[in-house]
Amino acid sequence: MNLTLFLLALFDGIAYAALVFIVAVGLTLIFGVMRILNVAHGSLYAMGAYLTASLTTFIVAAGLPPIFAFPCMLVSAVLIGAVIGGPLEWLLLRRIYHKPEVLQLLVTFAIFMILEDVQRLVWGTQPIFQSAALQLLGNVRVFSVNYTVYQLILLPMVAVALLLGLRFFLRRTVAGKLIVATTEDREAAQAIGIDADKVFLLTFIVGAGLAGLGGALASPTTSILPGIGADMIVLSFAVVATAGLGQIEGAALTALLIGLGRSFAVYVWPETQVLVPYLIMVAVLLVRPEGLFGSPAARKI
Amino acid sequence: MLSFHTANASIGNIPILRDLDFTIPASGTVALIGRNGAGKTTLLRSVMGFTNVSGEIRFDGQDITGMTPASRPALGIGYAPEDRRLFSAFSVEENILLPAQVARLDAATTQTRLDRVYHILPELREMGGRPAGHVSGGQGKMVALGRALMLGTKLLMLDEPFQGLAPALAKRYADALRDLRDTDRNVTLVITESNPALLRGFASQTFVIERGAVTEGSLDEKKEQA
Repeated sequence: MNLTLFLLALFDGIAYAALVFIVAVGLTLIFGVMRILNVAHGSLYAMGAYLTASLTTFIVAAGLPPIFAFPCMLVSAVLIGAVIGGPLEWLLLRRIYHKPEVLQLLVTFAIFMILEDVQRLVWGTQPIFQSAALQLLGNVRVFSVNYTVYQLILLPMVAVALLLGLRFFLRRTVAGKLIVATTEDREAAQAIGIDADKVFLLTFIVGAGLAGLGGALASPTTSILPGIGADMIVLSFAVVATAGLGQIEGAALTALLIGLGRSFAVYVWPETQVLVPYLIMVAVLLVRPEGLFGSPAARKI
Repeated sequence: MLSFHTANASIGNIPILRDLDFTIPASGTVALIGRNGAGKTTLLRSVMGFTNVSGEIRFDGQDITGMTPASRPALGIGYAPEDRRLFSAFSVEENILLPAQVARLDAATTQTRLDRVYHILPELREMGGRPAGHVSGGQGKMVALGRALMLGTKLLMLDEPFQGLAPALAKRYADALRDLRDTDRNVTLVITESNPALLRGFASQTFVIERGAVTEGSLDEKKEQA
Protein backbone atom coordinates (compact mmCIF):
# COMPACT_ATOMS: atom_id res chain seq x y z
CA MET A 1 0.00 0.00 0.00
CA ASN A 2 1.52 3.32 -1.05
CA LEU A 3 1.04 6.66 0.68
CA THR A 4 -1.81 7.74 -1.59
CA LEU A 5 -3.84 4.63 -0.93
CA PHE A 6 -3.05 4.80 2.78
CA LEU A 7 -4.27 8.39 3.01
CA LEU A 8 -7.39 7.60 1.00
CA ALA A 9 -8.23 4.71 3.31
CA LEU A 10 -7.50 6.85 6.35
CA PHE A 11 -9.72 9.72 5.16
CA ASP A 12 -12.52 7.37 4.07
CA GLY A 13 -12.39 5.74 7.47
CA ILE A 14 -12.48 9.02 9.39
CA ALA A 15 -15.37 10.42 7.33
CA TYR A 16 -17.33 7.23 7.66
CA ALA A 17 -16.60 6.90 11.38
CA ALA A 18 -17.91 10.43 11.95
CA LEU A 19 -21.26 9.55 10.36
CA VAL A 20 -21.54 6.22 12.13
CA PHE A 21 -20.75 7.85 15.46
CA ILE A 22 -23.46 10.49 15.05
CA VAL A 23 -26.05 7.79 14.40
CA ALA A 24 -24.70 5.32 16.97
CA VAL A 25 -24.55 7.89 19.77
CA GLY A 26 -28.29 8.49 19.37
CA LEU A 27 -28.89 4.75 19.57
CA THR A 28 -26.73 4.33 22.65
CA LEU A 29 -28.27 7.37 24.38
CA ILE A 30 -31.76 5.92 23.92
CA PHE A 31 -30.61 2.51 25.08
CA GLY A 32 -28.78 3.94 28.10
CA VAL A 33 -31.85 5.77 29.36
CA MET A 34 -34.75 3.64 28.23
CA ARG A 35 -33.16 0.19 27.93
CA ILE A 36 -34.76 -0.18 24.52
CA LEU A 37 -32.80 -1.20 21.45
CA ASN A 38 -34.53 0.88 18.81
CA VAL A 39 -34.29 -0.94 15.48
CA ALA A 40 -36.31 1.87 13.85
CA HIS A 41 -33.29 4.13 14.44
CA GLY A 42 -32.06 3.11 10.97
CA SER A 43 -35.29 4.33 9.36
CA LEU A 44 -34.96 7.68 11.09
CA TYR A 45 -31.45 7.92 9.62
CA ALA A 46 -32.75 7.13 6.13
CA MET A 47 -35.63 9.58 6.44
CA GLY A 48 -33.22 12.29 7.60
CA ALA A 49 -31.23 11.71 4.41
CA TYR A 50 -34.31 11.70 2.14
CA LEU A 51 -35.79 14.76 3.77
CA THR A 52 -32.54 16.73 3.49
CA ALA A 53 -32.11 15.78 -0.18
CA SER A 54 -35.69 16.81 -0.97
CA LEU A 55 -35.46 20.10 0.91
CA THR A 56 -32.08 20.93 -0.66
CA THR A 57 -33.31 20.10 -4.17
CA PHE A 58 -36.34 22.28 -3.51
CA ILE A 59 -34.40 25.33 -2.33
CA VAL A 60 -31.80 25.00 -5.11
CA ALA A 61 -34.62 24.74 -7.66
CA ALA A 62 -36.20 27.81 -6.08
CA GLY A 63 -33.03 29.71 -6.91
CA LEU A 64 -31.66 30.06 -3.38
CA PRO A 65 -27.87 29.74 -2.93
CA PRO A 66 -26.61 26.21 -2.13
CA ILE A 67 -25.35 27.36 1.29
CA PHE A 68 -28.96 26.87 2.40
CA ALA A 69 -28.30 23.13 2.15
CA PHE A 70 -26.82 23.31 5.67
CA PRO A 71 -29.88 24.79 7.40
CA CYS A 72 -31.89 22.13 5.53
CA MET A 73 -29.87 19.45 7.37
CA LEU A 74 -30.62 20.97 10.75
CA VAL A 75 -34.29 21.41 9.93
CA SER A 76 -34.50 17.77 8.81
CA ALA A 77 -32.84 16.52 11.99
CA VAL A 78 -35.19 18.55 14.19
CA LEU A 79 -38.24 17.43 12.20
CA ILE A 80 -37.21 13.76 12.42
CA GLY A 81 -36.67 14.09 16.18
CA ALA A 82 -39.78 16.07 17.02
CA VAL A 83 -42.35 15.05 14.41
CA ILE A 84 -41.48 11.36 14.11
CA GLY A 85 -39.47 10.57 17.26
CA GLY A 86 -41.72 12.40 19.72
CA PRO A 87 -45.03 10.75 18.76
CA LEU A 88 -43.30 7.39 18.38
CA GLU A 89 -42.22 7.44 22.03
CA TRP A 90 -45.40 8.99 23.30
CA LEU A 91 -47.88 6.80 21.46
CA LEU A 92 -46.05 3.50 21.18
CA LEU A 93 -42.81 2.91 23.08
CA ARG A 94 -44.20 4.25 26.36
CA ARG A 95 -46.50 1.23 26.46
CA ILE A 96 -43.74 -1.37 26.22
CA TYR A 97 -41.06 -0.29 28.73
CA HIS A 98 -42.14 -2.94 31.20
CA LYS A 99 -42.59 -5.66 28.61
CA PRO A 100 -40.07 -8.41 27.80
CA GLU A 101 -37.14 -7.44 25.58
CA VAL A 102 -38.25 -9.73 22.76
CA LEU A 103 -41.51 -7.84 22.49
CA GLN A 104 -39.70 -4.50 22.57
CA LEU A 105 -37.46 -5.63 19.72
CA LEU A 106 -40.46 -6.86 17.73
CA VAL A 107 -42.27 -3.55 18.18
CA THR A 108 -39.31 -1.40 17.11
CA PHE A 109 -38.67 -3.81 14.22
CA ALA A 110 -42.30 -3.40 13.15
CA ILE A 111 -41.87 0.39 13.26
CA PHE A 112 -38.76 -0.04 11.14
CA MET A 113 -40.68 -2.07 8.51
CA ILE A 114 -43.52 0.46 8.42
CA LEU A 115 -41.15 3.41 8.05
CA GLU A 116 -39.24 1.60 5.29
CA ASP A 117 -42.47 1.35 3.31
CA VAL A 118 -43.33 4.95 4.09
CA GLN A 119 -40.01 5.92 2.48
CA ARG A 120 -40.82 3.92 -0.67
CA LEU A 121 -44.25 5.51 -0.75
CA VAL A 122 -42.98 9.07 -0.41
CA TRP A 123 -39.64 8.97 -2.22
CA GLY A 124 -40.00 5.94 -4.52
CA THR A 125 -37.32 3.34 -5.18
CA GLN A 126 -35.09 5.29 -7.56
CA PRO A 127 -31.80 6.51 -6.03
CA ILE A 128 -31.76 10.19 -5.10
CA PHE A 129 -28.54 12.17 -5.29
CA GLN A 130 -28.17 15.71 -3.98
CA SER A 131 -24.61 16.83 -3.32
CA ALA A 132 -24.95 20.62 -3.30
CA ALA A 133 -23.42 20.87 0.19
CA LEU A 134 -20.49 18.64 -0.73
CA GLN A 135 -19.68 20.60 -3.90
CA LEU A 136 -20.03 23.94 -2.17
CA LEU A 137 -17.13 23.29 0.19
CA GLY A 138 -14.80 22.03 -2.55
CA ASN A 139 -11.67 19.91 -2.18
CA VAL A 140 -8.51 20.01 -0.13
CA ARG A 141 -5.16 18.56 -1.19
CA VAL A 142 -3.20 16.55 1.38
CA PHE A 143 0.14 15.34 -0.03
CA SER A 144 -0.89 13.49 -3.16
CA VAL A 145 -4.56 13.12 -2.29
CA ASN A 146 -7.52 15.29 -3.24
CA TYR A 147 -10.34 14.90 -0.78
CA THR A 148 -13.61 16.75 -0.14
CA VAL A 149 -13.54 19.36 2.63
CA TYR A 150 -17.05 18.25 3.57
CA GLN A 151 -15.97 14.70 4.42
CA LEU A 152 -12.45 15.32 5.67
CA ILE A 153 -13.07 18.40 7.82
CA LEU A 154 -16.77 19.17 8.31
CA LEU A 155 -18.02 15.68 9.24
CA PRO A 156 -15.29 14.96 11.83
CA MET A 157 -15.74 18.47 13.25
CA VAL A 158 -19.47 17.90 13.70
CA ALA A 159 -18.79 14.52 15.33
CA VAL A 160 -16.25 15.96 17.78
CA ALA A 161 -18.50 18.94 18.56
CA LEU A 162 -21.36 16.53 19.18
CA LEU A 163 -19.26 14.39 21.51
CA LEU A 164 -18.07 17.41 23.52
CA GLY A 165 -21.53 19.00 23.44
CA LEU A 166 -23.23 15.85 24.69
CA ARG A 167 -20.65 15.48 27.46
CA PHE A 168 -21.25 19.05 28.53
CA PHE A 169 -25.03 18.68 28.26
CA LEU A 170 -25.14 15.51 30.36
CA ARG A 171 -22.61 16.54 33.01
CA ARG A 172 -23.18 20.26 33.39
CA THR A 173 -26.79 21.19 32.54
CA VAL A 174 -29.79 20.46 34.73
CA ALA A 175 -31.69 18.78 31.87
CA GLY A 176 -28.66 16.57 31.23
CA LYS A 177 -28.34 15.69 34.90
CA LEU A 178 -31.97 14.63 34.97
CA ILE A 179 -31.23 12.26 32.08
CA VAL A 180 -28.13 10.85 33.82
CA ALA A 181 -30.00 10.43 37.11
CA THR A 182 -32.94 8.69 35.44
CA THR A 183 -30.53 6.42 33.56
CA GLU A 184 -28.82 5.35 36.74
CA ASP A 185 -31.88 4.78 38.91
CA ARG A 186 -35.35 5.57 37.65
CA GLU A 187 -37.08 5.15 41.00
CA ALA A 188 -34.54 7.18 42.95
CA ALA A 189 -34.92 9.89 40.31
CA GLN A 190 -38.67 9.95 40.73
CA ALA A 191 -38.23 10.03 44.50
CA ILE A 192 -36.58 13.43 44.16
CA GLY A 193 -39.27 14.68 41.82
CA ILE A 194 -37.85 13.91 38.38
CA ASP A 195 -40.61 13.26 35.84
CA ALA A 196 -39.21 10.12 34.22
CA ASP A 197 -41.84 10.16 31.46
CA LYS A 198 -40.67 13.59 30.34
CA VAL A 199 -37.03 12.54 30.51
CA PHE A 200 -37.76 9.52 28.33
CA LEU A 201 -39.59 11.66 25.78
CA LEU A 202 -36.80 14.25 25.69
CA THR A 203 -34.15 11.55 25.35
CA PHE A 204 -35.97 9.83 22.53
CA ILE A 205 -36.47 13.10 20.65
CA VAL A 206 -32.75 13.90 21.00
CA GLY A 207 -31.74 10.36 20.02
CA ALA A 208 -34.08 10.26 17.02
CA GLY A 209 -32.90 13.73 16.02
CA LEU A 210 -29.31 12.44 16.02
CA ALA A 211 -30.31 9.61 13.68
CA GLY A 212 -31.92 12.23 11.46
CA LEU A 213 -28.82 14.42 11.68
CA GLY A 214 -26.62 11.47 10.68
CA GLY A 215 -28.81 10.88 7.64
CA ALA A 216 -28.87 14.58 6.81
CA LEU A 217 -25.07 14.81 6.93
CA ALA A 218 -24.67 11.59 4.95
CA SER A 219 -27.07 12.67 2.20
CA PRO A 220 -24.62 14.69 0.04
CA THR A 221 -22.01 11.92 0.13
CA THR A 222 -24.05 9.01 -1.13
CA SER A 223 -26.96 7.88 -3.29
CA ILE A 224 -30.05 7.65 -1.15
CA LEU A 225 -32.00 4.52 -1.90
CA PRO A 226 -34.09 1.91 -0.07
CA GLY A 227 -31.99 -0.17 2.31
CA ILE A 228 -29.56 2.48 3.56
CA GLY A 229 -31.43 2.53 6.88
CA ALA A 230 -30.96 -1.20 7.36
CA ASP A 231 -27.22 -0.96 6.59
CA MET A 232 -26.78 1.86 9.06
CA ILE A 233 -28.73 0.34 11.95
CA VAL A 234 -26.74 -2.90 11.70
CA LEU A 235 -23.44 -1.04 11.63
CA SER A 236 -24.31 1.39 14.42
CA PHE A 237 -25.54 -1.51 16.50
CA ALA A 238 -22.13 -3.14 15.96
CA VAL A 239 -20.50 0.09 17.20
CA VAL A 240 -22.77 0.36 20.22
CA ALA A 241 -22.36 -3.29 21.20
CA THR A 242 -18.58 -3.19 20.76
CA ALA A 243 -18.30 -0.01 22.83
CA GLY A 244 -20.64 -1.23 25.55
CA LEU A 245 -24.30 -0.22 25.56
CA GLY A 246 -24.86 3.31 26.85
CA GLN A 247 -21.22 4.42 26.43
CA ILE A 248 -20.91 7.73 24.59
CA GLU A 249 -17.14 8.25 24.58
CA GLY A 250 -16.70 4.55 23.90
CA ALA A 251 -18.99 4.82 20.88
CA ALA A 252 -16.73 7.54 19.44
CA LEU A 253 -13.57 5.44 19.68
CA THR A 254 -15.30 2.31 18.48
CA ALA A 255 -16.82 4.12 15.50
CA LEU A 256 -13.31 5.21 14.56
CA LEU A 257 -11.99 1.67 14.98
CA ILE A 258 -14.76 0.15 12.89
CA GLY A 259 -14.73 2.96 10.32
CA LEU A 260 -10.99 2.61 9.77
CA GLY A 261 -11.17 -1.19 9.79
CA ARG A 262 -13.84 -1.10 7.11
CA SER A 263 -12.07 1.45 4.88
CA PHE A 264 -8.69 -0.26 5.03
CA ALA A 265 -10.41 -3.53 4.17
CA VAL A 266 -11.81 -1.84 1.06
CA TYR A 267 -8.28 -1.07 -0.19
CA VAL A 268 -6.47 -4.15 1.04
CA TRP A 269 -8.98 -6.98 0.75
CA PRO A 270 -12.21 -5.60 -0.72
CA GLU A 271 -14.18 -8.84 -0.38
CA THR A 272 -14.10 -8.46 3.40
CA GLN A 273 -15.28 -4.86 3.71
CA VAL A 274 -18.77 -5.88 4.86
CA LEU A 275 -17.35 -8.48 7.20
CA VAL A 276 -14.63 -6.48 8.99
CA PRO A 277 -16.87 -4.42 11.33
CA TYR A 278 -18.49 -7.61 12.60
CA LEU A 279 -15.18 -9.39 12.94
CA ILE A 280 -14.04 -6.52 15.16
CA MET A 281 -17.28 -6.77 17.13
CA VAL A 282 -16.98 -10.55 17.59
CA ALA A 283 -13.32 -10.31 18.56
CA VAL A 284 -14.06 -7.67 21.20
CA LEU A 285 -17.16 -9.37 22.58
CA LEU A 286 -15.36 -12.72 22.87
CA VAL A 287 -12.82 -11.13 25.19
CA ARG A 288 -15.09 -8.55 26.85
CA PRO A 289 -18.77 -9.49 26.62
CA GLU A 290 -19.77 -6.16 28.21
CA GLY A 291 -18.01 -4.22 25.43
CA LEU A 292 -14.76 -2.26 25.34
CA PHE A 293 -15.95 0.45 27.72
CA GLY A 294 -18.96 -1.15 29.37
CA SER A 295 -19.04 -2.44 32.91
CA PRO A 296 -21.11 -5.55 33.54
CA ALA A 297 -23.49 -4.02 36.07
CA ALA A 298 -23.33 -0.25 36.09
CA ARG A 299 -25.39 1.75 33.65
CA LYS A 300 -23.65 4.91 32.60
CA ILE A 301 -24.07 7.39 29.82
CA MET B 1 -50.73 15.07 58.32
CA LEU B 2 -50.23 11.65 56.73
CA SER B 3 -53.15 9.27 56.88
CA PHE B 4 -54.15 5.94 55.40
CA HIS B 5 -57.79 5.05 54.79
CA THR B 6 -58.48 1.39 54.02
CA ALA B 7 -55.28 1.39 52.01
CA ASN B 8 -54.26 -1.92 50.43
CA ALA B 9 -51.29 -2.68 48.24
CA SER B 10 -50.10 -5.85 46.57
CA ILE B 11 -47.10 -6.80 44.52
CA GLY B 12 -48.21 -9.26 41.86
CA ASN B 13 -50.98 -11.22 43.52
CA ILE B 14 -49.44 -11.12 46.96
CA PRO B 15 -51.04 -8.60 49.32
CA ILE B 16 -48.34 -6.60 51.11
CA LEU B 17 -50.30 -3.91 52.91
CA ARG B 18 -53.69 -4.80 54.36
CA ASP B 19 -56.46 -2.37 55.27
CA LEU B 20 -54.21 0.34 56.65
CA ASP B 21 -56.22 2.83 58.68
CA PHE B 22 -54.07 5.12 60.76
CA THR B 23 -52.90 8.71 60.99
CA ILE B 24 -49.44 10.07 61.57
CA PRO B 25 -49.80 13.44 63.32
CA ALA B 26 -48.01 16.56 62.13
CA SER B 27 -44.63 17.27 63.74
CA GLY B 28 -44.53 13.76 65.14
CA THR B 29 -41.50 11.53 65.37
CA VAL B 30 -42.88 8.20 64.38
CA ALA B 31 -41.18 4.84 64.57
CA LEU B 32 -42.53 2.15 62.28
CA ILE B 33 -41.34 -1.15 63.69
CA GLY B 34 -41.54 -4.47 61.97
CA ARG B 35 -39.57 -7.53 60.98
CA ASN B 36 -37.98 -7.95 57.58
CA GLY B 37 -40.69 -8.54 55.03
CA ALA B 38 -43.45 -7.07 57.21
CA GLY B 39 -44.14 -4.33 54.66
CA LYS B 40 -42.20 -1.32 56.02
CA THR B 41 -40.50 -0.45 52.77
CA THR B 42 -43.67 -1.03 50.75
CA LEU B 43 -45.53 1.34 53.07
CA LEU B 44 -43.01 4.13 52.50
CA ARG B 45 -42.89 3.39 48.77
CA SER B 46 -46.68 3.60 48.62
CA VAL B 47 -46.48 7.13 50.02
CA MET B 48 -43.97 7.94 47.26
CA GLY B 49 -46.31 6.45 44.64
CA PHE B 50 -44.18 3.48 43.66
CA THR B 51 -46.77 0.83 44.52
CA ASN B 52 -50.36 0.74 43.37
CA VAL B 53 -52.63 1.47 46.28
CA SER B 54 -56.36 0.96 46.58
CA GLY B 55 -58.09 3.01 49.23
CA GLU B 56 -56.75 6.44 50.06
CA ILE B 57 -53.54 8.06 51.26
CA ARG B 58 -53.88 11.68 52.36
CA PHE B 59 -51.03 14.06 52.95
CA ASP B 60 -51.46 17.53 54.38
CA GLY B 61 -55.21 17.42 53.79
CA GLN B 62 -54.85 16.33 50.19
CA ASP B 63 -55.65 12.97 48.58
CA ILE B 64 -52.35 11.93 47.00
CA THR B 65 -53.33 8.37 46.04
CA GLY B 66 -53.57 9.10 42.32
CA MET B 67 -50.68 11.55 42.05
CA THR B 68 -47.67 10.60 39.93
CA PRO B 69 -44.53 9.72 41.92
CA ALA B 70 -42.61 12.67 40.45
CA SER B 71 -45.14 15.24 41.68
CA ARG B 72 -45.05 14.11 45.30
CA PRO B 73 -41.64 15.30 46.58
CA ALA B 74 -42.57 18.90 45.74
CA LEU B 75 -45.33 18.69 48.39
CA GLY B 76 -42.53 18.68 50.96
CA ILE B 77 -41.79 14.97 51.15
CA GLY B 78 -38.24 13.67 51.47
CA TYR B 79 -37.46 9.97 51.22
CA ALA B 80 -34.21 8.20 51.99
CA PRO B 81 -34.43 4.59 50.79
CA GLU B 82 -32.70 1.86 52.74
CA ASP B 83 -30.10 1.15 50.07
CA ARG B 84 -29.14 4.88 49.72
CA ARG B 85 -29.46 4.93 45.92
CA LEU B 86 -27.18 7.88 45.30
CA PHE B 87 -26.41 8.91 41.75
CA SER B 88 -22.83 7.72 41.37
CA ALA B 89 -22.22 9.86 38.28
CA PHE B 90 -22.43 13.01 40.43
CA SER B 91 -20.53 14.44 43.36
CA VAL B 92 -21.94 14.36 46.87
CA GLU B 93 -23.02 17.99 46.69
CA GLU B 94 -24.58 17.52 43.24
CA ASN B 95 -26.63 14.67 44.70
CA ILE B 96 -27.85 16.89 47.51
CA LEU B 97 -28.61 19.84 45.22
CA LEU B 98 -30.37 17.88 42.48
CA PRO B 99 -33.81 17.75 44.21
CA ALA B 100 -33.73 21.55 44.57
CA GLN B 101 -32.87 21.92 40.88
CA VAL B 102 -35.66 19.55 39.89
CA ALA B 103 -38.14 21.52 42.01
CA ARG B 104 -36.76 24.75 40.51
CA LEU B 105 -36.23 26.38 43.88
CA ASP B 106 -34.76 29.86 43.62
CA ALA B 107 -31.14 30.42 44.59
CA ALA B 108 -31.94 31.90 48.01
CA THR B 109 -34.26 29.05 49.02
CA THR B 110 -31.77 26.49 47.74
CA GLN B 111 -29.01 28.08 49.81
CA THR B 112 -31.22 28.14 52.92
CA ARG B 113 -32.04 24.46 52.47
CA LEU B 114 -28.41 23.57 51.81
CA ASP B 115 -27.35 25.46 54.94
CA ARG B 116 -29.94 23.48 56.88
CA VAL B 117 -28.45 20.24 55.56
CA TYR B 118 -24.89 21.31 56.38
CA HIS B 119 -25.95 22.51 59.82
CA ILE B 120 -27.33 19.09 60.68
CA LEU B 121 -24.70 17.10 58.77
CA PRO B 122 -21.52 19.23 58.75
CA GLU B 123 -19.43 16.29 57.51
CA LEU B 124 -21.23 16.50 54.15
CA ARG B 125 -19.70 19.91 53.49
CA GLU B 126 -16.22 18.42 53.68
CA MET B 127 -16.94 15.60 51.28
CA GLY B 128 -19.12 17.67 48.95
CA GLY B 129 -16.73 17.41 46.03
CA ARG B 130 -16.20 13.67 46.24
CA PRO B 131 -17.85 11.38 43.69
CA ALA B 132 -20.93 9.85 45.29
CA GLY B 133 -19.85 6.44 44.02
CA HIS B 134 -16.73 6.63 46.17
CA VAL B 135 -18.17 7.26 49.63
CA SER B 136 -18.51 4.47 52.18
CA GLY B 137 -21.85 2.85 52.90
CA GLY B 138 -22.28 4.79 56.13
CA GLN B 139 -21.33 8.11 54.57
CA GLY B 140 -23.72 7.29 51.75
CA LYS B 141 -26.54 7.08 54.30
CA MET B 142 -25.67 10.59 55.48
CA VAL B 143 -25.70 11.84 51.88
CA ALA B 144 -29.07 10.17 51.27
CA LEU B 145 -30.41 11.88 54.41
CA GLY B 146 -29.04 15.22 53.21
CA ARG B 147 -30.63 14.74 49.80
CA ALA B 148 -34.00 13.85 51.37
CA LEU B 149 -33.79 16.95 53.59
CA MET B 150 -33.65 19.28 50.58
CA LEU B 151 -37.33 18.77 49.74
CA GLY B 152 -38.45 17.06 52.95
CA THR B 153 -39.62 20.17 54.76
CA LYS B 154 -42.93 18.66 55.93
CA LEU B 155 -42.37 14.92 55.92
CA LEU B 156 -39.12 12.99 56.05
CA MET B 157 -39.27 9.23 55.60
CA LEU B 158 -36.17 7.23 56.44
CA ASP B 159 -36.13 3.54 55.61
CA GLU B 160 -34.00 1.56 58.10
CA PRO B 161 -31.42 4.34 58.40
CA PHE B 162 -29.31 2.44 60.93
CA GLN B 163 -29.12 -0.74 58.87
CA GLY B 164 -25.51 -1.67 58.22
CA LEU B 165 -24.02 1.34 60.04
CA ALA B 166 -20.97 0.85 62.23
CA PRO B 167 -21.80 1.72 65.88
CA ALA B 168 -19.94 5.03 65.80
CA LEU B 169 -21.67 6.09 62.60
CA ALA B 170 -25.05 4.92 63.90
CA LYS B 171 -24.57 7.15 66.94
CA ARG B 172 -23.55 10.05 64.72
CA TYR B 173 -26.63 9.48 62.54
CA ALA B 174 -28.90 9.39 65.59
CA ASP B 175 -27.32 12.62 66.89
CA ALA B 176 -28.00 14.26 63.54
CA LEU B 177 -31.64 13.22 63.72
CA ARG B 178 -31.92 14.63 67.26
CA ASP B 179 -30.34 17.82 66.02
CA LEU B 180 -32.89 17.98 63.23
CA ARG B 181 -35.72 17.33 65.70
CA ASP B 182 -34.45 20.11 68.00
CA THR B 183 -33.96 22.71 65.27
CA ASP B 184 -37.02 21.91 63.16
CA ARG B 185 -40.18 21.34 65.15
CA ASN B 186 -42.45 21.30 62.10
CA VAL B 187 -41.13 18.39 60.11
CA THR B 188 -42.78 15.01 60.59
CA LEU B 189 -40.29 12.17 60.85
CA VAL B 190 -41.16 8.61 59.92
CA ILE B 191 -38.41 6.10 60.60
CA THR B 192 -38.70 2.39 59.93
CA GLU B 193 -36.61 0.00 61.96
CA SER B 194 -36.48 -3.69 62.70
CA ASN B 195 -34.59 -3.11 65.94
CA PRO B 196 -36.79 -0.98 68.25
CA ALA B 197 -33.96 -0.39 70.75
CA LEU B 198 -32.32 2.08 68.37
CA LEU B 199 -35.27 4.47 68.49
CA ARG B 200 -36.10 4.29 72.17
CA GLY B 201 -36.25 7.70 73.80
CA PHE B 202 -36.47 9.39 70.41
CA ALA B 203 -39.77 8.40 68.82
CA SER B 204 -42.89 10.15 70.13
CA GLN B 205 -45.17 7.53 68.67
CA THR B 206 -44.74 3.97 67.54
CA PHE B 207 -46.60 1.88 65.02
CA VAL B 208 -46.00 -1.82 64.62
CA ILE B 209 -46.36 -3.41 61.22
CA GLU B 210 -46.86 -7.13 61.05
CA ARG B 211 -47.73 -9.07 57.88
CA GLY B 212 -48.85 -5.84 56.27
CA ALA B 213 -51.19 -4.71 59.03
CA VAL B 214 -50.39 -1.64 61.14
CA THR B 215 -51.33 -1.23 64.79
CA GLU B 216 -50.29 1.35 67.32
CA GLY B 217 -47.74 0.04 69.75
CA SER B 218 -44.83 1.08 71.87
CA LEU B 219 -41.13 0.45 71.66
CA ASP B 220 -41.05 -1.20 75.10
CA GLU B 221 -43.89 -3.54 74.33
CA LYS B 222 -42.08 -4.76 71.28
CA LYS B 223 -39.02 -5.42 73.38
CA GLU B 224 -41.01 -7.61 75.73
CA GLN B 225 -42.27 -9.62 72.77
CA ALA B 226 -38.77 -10.17 71.56
